[in-house]
Amino acid sequence: MATNDIYKKEYDVIIVGGGATGAGTARDCALRGLNVLLVERDDYSTGATGRNHGLMHSGARYAVTDGESAAECIKENMILRRIARHCVEETDGLFITLPEDDLAYQQTFVEACGRAGIRADIIAPDEARVIEPSVNPDLIGAVRVPDASIDPFRLTVANLLDARINGAETLNHHEVEGMIINQGRVEGVKLHNKLNGEHVEVRCKVVVNAAGIWGQRIAKLAGVNISMFPARGALLIFGHRVNRMVINRCRKPANADILVPDDTVCVIGTTSDRIPIETVDDMRVTREEVDVLLKEGIKIAPSLATTRVIRAYAGVRPLVASDDDPSGRSISRGIVCLDHAKRDGLEGFITITGGKMMTYRLMGEIATNAVCAKLGNTKPCVTATLPLPGSEEDAPSQSDTTKRYSFGERAAIGRHGSLAARIEKDNDIDNALVCECEGVTVGEIKYAVHQLHVHNLVNLRRRTRVGMGTCQGKLCSCRAASLMGELNHDVKSAQKDLATFLDERWKGMRPVAWGDTLREAQLTAAIYEGLCGLDQAVNTQRKEDEQ
Amino acid sequence: MRMDTVIMGGGLSGLTCGIALAKRGQRVTIVASGQSTLLFNGGSMELLGHIEGKAVTAPLEAIGTLPQSHPYSKIGADNIAALADEAKQLLADAGIDMEGSAAVNHWRITPMGVAKPAWLTLNENMRIDSLGKLPAKHLVLMCIRGFFDQPNGMLAQGLRELGFEVKTVEFTTDDITALRRSPSEMRATTLTKRLVSHNALQRIADQINNLAGEAEMVLLPSVFGQTDSTDFQTLQSLVKKPLRLVATLPPSVAGGRMQTLLRHYFKMLGGNYLMGDSAVSGQFDGDRLLSVTTAKLGDMPLRANNYVLATGSFISRGLVADYERVYEPVFDLDVDADGDREQWTRFDVLEPQAYSRYGVATDGDLRCMKQGKPIQNLHAIGSVLSGHDAIKMGDGTGVSLLTALAAAKNILSGK
Amino acid sequence: MAERMQLCNISDNNFEECTKCSICTTVCPVTAVTTDYPGPKQAGPDGERYRLKDPAYYDKALKLCLNCKRCEVACPSGVHIADIIQHARMRAGEGQRASLRDTMLANTDLLGKVANLVAPIANATLGLSPTKLVMDSVMAIDKHRTFPAYSRQKFTTWFKRHAAKQQDAFSNHVSYFHGCYVNYNFPKLGQDLVKLMNAIGYGVHMLDKEQCCGVALIANGLYKQAKRQARTNAASIRQSVNIAHRTVLTTSSSCTFNLRDEYPSLLDVDTSDVRDGIMLATRFIYNLVDEEKVKLVFRQDYKRRMAYHTACHMQRMGWQLYSIELLRMIPGLDLVELEQECCGISGTYGFKKENYERSQAIGSVLFKHIEDAKVEAVTTDCETCKWQIEMSTGLPVENPISVLADALDVDATRRANSI
Repeated sequence: MATNDIYKKEYDVIIVGGGATGAGTARDCALRGLNVLLVERDDYSTGATGRNHGLMHSGARYAVTDGESAAECIKENMILRRIARHCVEETDGLFITLPEDDLAYQQTFVEACGRAGIRADIIAPDEARVIEPSVNPDLIGAVRVPDASIDPFRLTVANLLDARINGAETLNHHEVEGMIINQGRVEGVKLHNKLNGEHVEVRCKVVVNAAGIWGQRIAKLAGVNISMFPARGALLIFGHRVNRMVINRCRKPANADILVPDDTVCVIGTTSDRIPIETVDDMRVTREEVDVLLKEGIKIAPSLATTRVIRAYAGVRPLVASDDDPSGRSISRGIVCLDHAKRDGLEGFITITGGKMMTYRLMGEIATNAVCAKLGNTKPCVTATLPLPGSEEDAPSQSDTTKRYSFGERAAIGRHGSLAARIEKDNDIDNALVCECEGVTVGEIKYAVHQLHVHNLVNLRRRTRVGMGTCQGKLCSCRAASLMGELNHDVKSAQKDLATFLDERWKGMRPVAWGDTLREAQLTAAIYEGLCGLDQAVNTQRKEDEQ
Repeated sequence: MRMDTVIMGGGLSGLTCGIALAKRGQRVTIVASGQSTLLFNGGSMELLGHIEGKAVTAPLEAIGTLPQSHPYSKIGADNIAALADEAKQLLADAGIDMEGSAAVNHWRITPMGVAKPAWLTLNENMRIDSLGKLPAKHLVLMCIRGFFDQPNGMLAQGLRELGFEVKTVEFTTDDITALRRSPSEMRATTLTKRLVSHNALQRIADQINNLAGEAEMVLLPSVFGQTDSTDFQTLQSLVKKPLRLVATLPPSVAGGRMQTLLRHYFKMLGGNYLMGDSAVSGQFDGDRLLSVTTAKLGDMPLRANNYVLATGSFISRGLVADYERVYEPVFDLDVDADGDREQWTRFDVLEPQAYSRYGVATDGDLRCMKQGKPIQNLHAIGSVLSGHDAIKMGDGTGVSLLTALAAAKNILSGK
Repeated sequence: MAERMQLCNISDNNFEECTKCSICTTVCPVTAVTTDYPGPKQAGPDGERYRLKDPAYYDKALKLCLNCKRCEVACPSGVHIADIIQHARMRAGEGQRASLRDTMLANTDLLGKVANLVAPIANATLGLSPTKLVMDSVMAIDKHRTFPAYSRQKFTTWFKRHAAKQQDAFSNHVSYFHGCYVNYNFPKLGQDLVKLMNAIGYGVHMLDKEQCCGVALIANGLYKQAKRQARTNAASIRQSVNIAHRTVLTTSSSCTFNLRDEYPSLLDVDTSDVRDGIMLATRFIYNLVDEEKVKLVFRQDYKRRMAYHTACHMQRMGWQLYSIELLRMIPGLDLVELEQECCGISGTYGFKKENYERSQAIGSVLFKHIEDAKVEAVTTDCETCKWQIEMSTGLPVENPISVLADALDVDATRRANSI
């Protein structure tokens, strides 16, 4: 549907926020037959959804401190293995005890896991060293748990795709700048289309605030107050996998105690710092954060000391003060669903927040239940059993090596599951690789641009992994920019988009710009600025724009 | 193994210096750790392109205003014109025919259609002498189907902004289609290897002659001529209109060719070129370097009267940055670099980055400094030198060529 | 540990030092002639990240790699690209079910032993066209290939009968790893080495036990056998270098590279303690001359124009300098140094029917250079390059040691060295 037509419709529900929670809510609402619009101010999974470990918790991490969350996690963990197979890699996880840790904690931990229903097997350090060769060999204890690795970008897109299949509309780059409130009732949202600068109003019966940490602002637009406690966490990405399994420290949660294998890389994190709500948009990673992550990470897997760090990034967890404690001292990591009619006397407005990427589906279910209660819809939730698009049938076998070299095809199956069948691969040009590190073909880019709401290179990266490899977009970003310019018939903005993309890549590289990452940056600069003169072109354009 | 001079680094500066010395009868060995950054050069040399973001029109004049720390200042602003002439001649002797003047910059056309100031450009490459006076009005840009290392849209757009009328035409031939069967290897350098036979060139010429229409000039990606410009000339002879090439994304055909031609010339002059080897350490006696140990020659170090460090910047690993510091990895020479990692880079990617100016410290005669004292028989040349910025100032190739010649002169005169 | 970190990046075969600059792709001789091979960057560092994620990402196209190592020589980042590819092939178990053909080609010494016994028949049979047809169709060994002729007398037999006794009389001593080629096909090269070394006052000795170095076994995926033979050779070399204090000389660049570098890196047979004690004879002799320990005197009547071809593994070792500099000492030799190009044979690769055309296409650049050089013969340190160049250009190809031995004025050299 054309964007203008989308604006004209009236919806049962408008969901604000295109993270996993928003996407999961949109899917659930759509599956229950509601008329749904989801709006996202930037790109899908730009916020905390795309800025975490990519860890599919077994719940073990919370078992000791928060049994309820732990139980939620393991339940959702098992569900996601079924419904989101193409986003999940069943790696299993270890909780290791190092000589500096208290081995007695292991017993407490295993018992707590047991209470939460999480399988936790104590294994001998020797066995741990065999099944996970990268682990610190000095470990004195290990527990095996059903942790896994999950790709939040894919997960979010799969939810959105299914929402759309079931009639929902979704708009990225649309920021909510106000609420339409009439006689104590929210009746719609005022939107700013950031792609063309337009301001529009769209009407609905219920608005769901699923904006994560930005939910406080959205609530404020509706005149209600929620106290968020932003907890910032920084992470480092290494150039390749050093570990096969998720590795956690078996102790009270602390800085940099989880190492997760994510797709072709591995990620150590996180730090944890309370930050003022005003600074939640500043995602710059500091030198101190990098130092802490490396220093602690090396204790988990010593080889990280000599593995190339390709990026640093940070995210903000949307922790909420529970309502019965306005001081904010007791902060919940659990799911918070606020019906503002009951809480604040404002009809047609629901906030779903707290929780974790892990429990997005459950949050979606809870929020949808609340919406349905308002609208008198009695259809049951099916998201726990219905596979997401891409996971619904067996993906074509990976080991099926044909005569032709088919890296791109296989990488795409890894990314899109059964949806990879939609990618054109019948001619040589569609099979040509754009991103050589991550095996992204011309066909996959066409698919993403045409079907996955891609407006710029950053969008494209989240859908396909273009530019997410070791070189962070050295040759592929130009190829992709050029190709997108052609597909969108917009060559003019291609250069600016390319510069924005390189800048976005650089933001992550800069905090770790030493060694080969600095070499990489210099080579990228030599190509795009020295050889191509992109800086000159963009500066000229900027001057023209100013005039 | 005893030489007159051992040069560490086999890129533009190392080869230029080696050629200058070998021409004067020296026995020279170059140790080259792999191919050089010339493979990212589109076929132009730059003397000085920009100062503080402003394009330089008269480089020789502008060089006089550079600070004393700039390598040009060290070799003497007055010497630049003569050295530039010498460099141009050396390139021509090696078979690299380039045009341009050190007095007035011309404009090279980049793969994205940007006009960048340049000193010398390969004859077959598209160039503009004056932005007010275009070499032709109507251009046809011949785009190779399925070739993604030339951003055709951006190139055409850029050319239009310069005032050209541009028609883009996509074409292919059997040779090109056959290569596209490879998902990854349709690169400029691979195309070049496929487009060498007269028949292959004829097929391209046929396409151009059919599709060029009314254009006055035909632009093609630079994918012709791996080792010399013969293939380009053959193609030109088969096409009715004047042809010009535009650099592609790397690896660059023109850059690879320049590297090969320089290496051939150096070897023809009797030089030894140790490809794939690298200097790992040196033995000093006071302020003199006695020998250099390489990774491959192992326990048989290279000995020479003079040594030249031409190992390049970070990309080429002539400089190394680790978590804690920036250093010169072979001899641990003094470097001009900030100590604090925060200072190395800036927040925005297109801002001038401090690390681009880092390099080894030298005295006024380009001799390397170690613990504050010059090493008498060790010169540094090219990108490993501090005080210039190849990316933002467009002085990389010029510094490589001119410091190489200046160092050769110092060595020959026993300075 | 936590105090000093991120000082360097270490990954297997340095694969993560790769900056994706793509320079390696410009020198790959295979991608220059076929689109079936994804090239060193994709097959190497790019693919490796995915194979670390899941070994199922291994692609059979990696088989087309020649292991010529040109990518490694060109890489400005020191990535062992070809080793990454070889390791991937090993992990994927390529060659575990080697065909009769591959096993036969790989066992150069076994084939040699048998053929040696019946050399006249073997030579005739391997040269006959019906036999070639059978080999072509049944064994898939290309019919265009001429098998190197087998010698009637093994080098070791000659040595025992004619040379062994004299060797102890010298005051300096070296061991000689002759390799299969010298032993079975071309004993003259071994004889030339003995002649040369004796002339400069060195006695030459065989190793306690020498087996085929295994370079062909590795290429054909017969890793277990290669490992066994490597262990035997390593023990003999250790005995020679560490106990008898005799440097082990070689005359084949591929054997040398294999003994020194592939044993530890591919076969996990550590030879690092004796690595410096294994070297090409040209390096050993060059060093003696350079340090003025010996003098070489050459015949006044020697006049030839030859081209030196740097074999791929020679280039990888970086030792062509020694052979070239030694050859340049021969006053009557007009030496042309060829631009380094792969000849296309890569050991047994070019013998396989499926590779024949590719192999010749790869070599064509080199053959053209040789033709343009207008020389009467070619010299190179590799025996398989020799077969390929002889077959493809019709020019004779000699090892530098043979050239040196041929040009040497033996009596004058002995006098100059007071022997």
